[in-house]
Amino acid sequence: MSTWLRTGLMGTGLGFALSRIGFSSWDEVHRMFTFASLRMLLAFVVGVGVLTLAWPLVRHFSRATPRWSPRPIHRGTLAGGLIFGVGWALSGACPSIALVQLGEGQAAALFTLSGIFVGNWLYSWAHERYFRWSAGSCIDD
Amino acid sequence: MIDHWPWWLGGLALAGVALTHWFLLGRQMAVSGRFTAIVNRWRFGAPDPSAQALQNASQAELLAAIQAATRAEFGGADESLAPNAPASEPAAPRLPQESPRSPQRPRTLTEHWVFLGSLVLGGCVSALSAGSLELSLVPTGELFQKLFAGTPWGGALILLAGGVLVGAGTRMASGCTSGHGLCGVSRLQPGSLLATVAFFGAAVVTAFLLRGLS
Repeated sequence: MSTWLRTGLMGTGLGFALSRIGFSSWDEVHRMFTFASLRMLLAFVVGVGVLTLAWPLVRHFSRATPRWSPRPIHRGTLAGGLIFGVGWALSGACPSIALVQLGEGQAAALFTLSGIFVGNWLYSWAHERYFRWSAGSCIDD
Repeated sequence: MIDHWPWWLGGLALAGVALTHWFLLGRQMAVSGRFTAIVNRWRFGAPDPSAQALQNASQAELLAAIQAATRAEFGGADESLAPNAPASEPAAPRLPQESPRSPQRPRTLTEHWVFLGSLVLGGCVSALSAGSLELSLVPTGELFQKLFAGTPWGGALILLAGGVLVGAGTRMASGCTSGHGLCGVSRLQPGSLLATVAFFGAAVVTAFLLRGLS
């Protein structure tokens, strides 16, 4: 299988799952944030829980030890997380969701998507211009 | 309306997707990193292939390349150091064999666009198979409409502003819901735990504030 095909299959699978779980619905995401519905929160917890058990097994049964990039705390972790959280609640979308919403026919997600590219660009500019701390060597995981 | 999966099925699907991503693509799933890669290409152009080769070269290869370059520059005054190496041919570090499982293989811009494009496809397949695919030009969501229908452009500017915060914040924190929230937290990575608590906490506070407005 070519890399493109595998990449396309992964994206399609992720997009389908996120849509069916409800992450692409602004209202449903807000029911999660206000704890009006625990369904998606539980789904996320189950996902993380299963993976917590699965990674050590994957590592154990891999022929070569997998090299998973570490994700250390750096000076942008807390502030970046807070900024992202406010944006997620406002737009109802984390980065992959804007694209899933587009696929569902929510054309207004084009605004969110443009915003994500602009914000990413702006931060990379501001980082070079003002911050310049090391964010670890493995941003590109 | 898309019927949403029960919590246990959603959880299994998330874990299944993350594991499949590792097995198929040889990397942990991290979507905001793909946005970052695309933006970096816009800002800085194509990566220098020799720089990529340097990153992947072994120490011995690097040493040989430095020695060769030194001889090429200074004309090999001391031939006894490396009598067999031709002075006229600086050896470039060899590019490693391309393998999908190798985490070092640099990904092309096309691969990132294919992934982002296929997310659109995934959402489309989901809506189609639920019989709910319809084009909506205005932002959807009852609560969203209730809150923002009266704002300029009917909430579109809210989406744009929110998107800017999402793009800047995920780049600043080096990850989003997939890389930090799902894959990083499950590997108990400190940066992911802090980022996830931060973005979820901020989203909860923002959501309650918004609900207070309505």
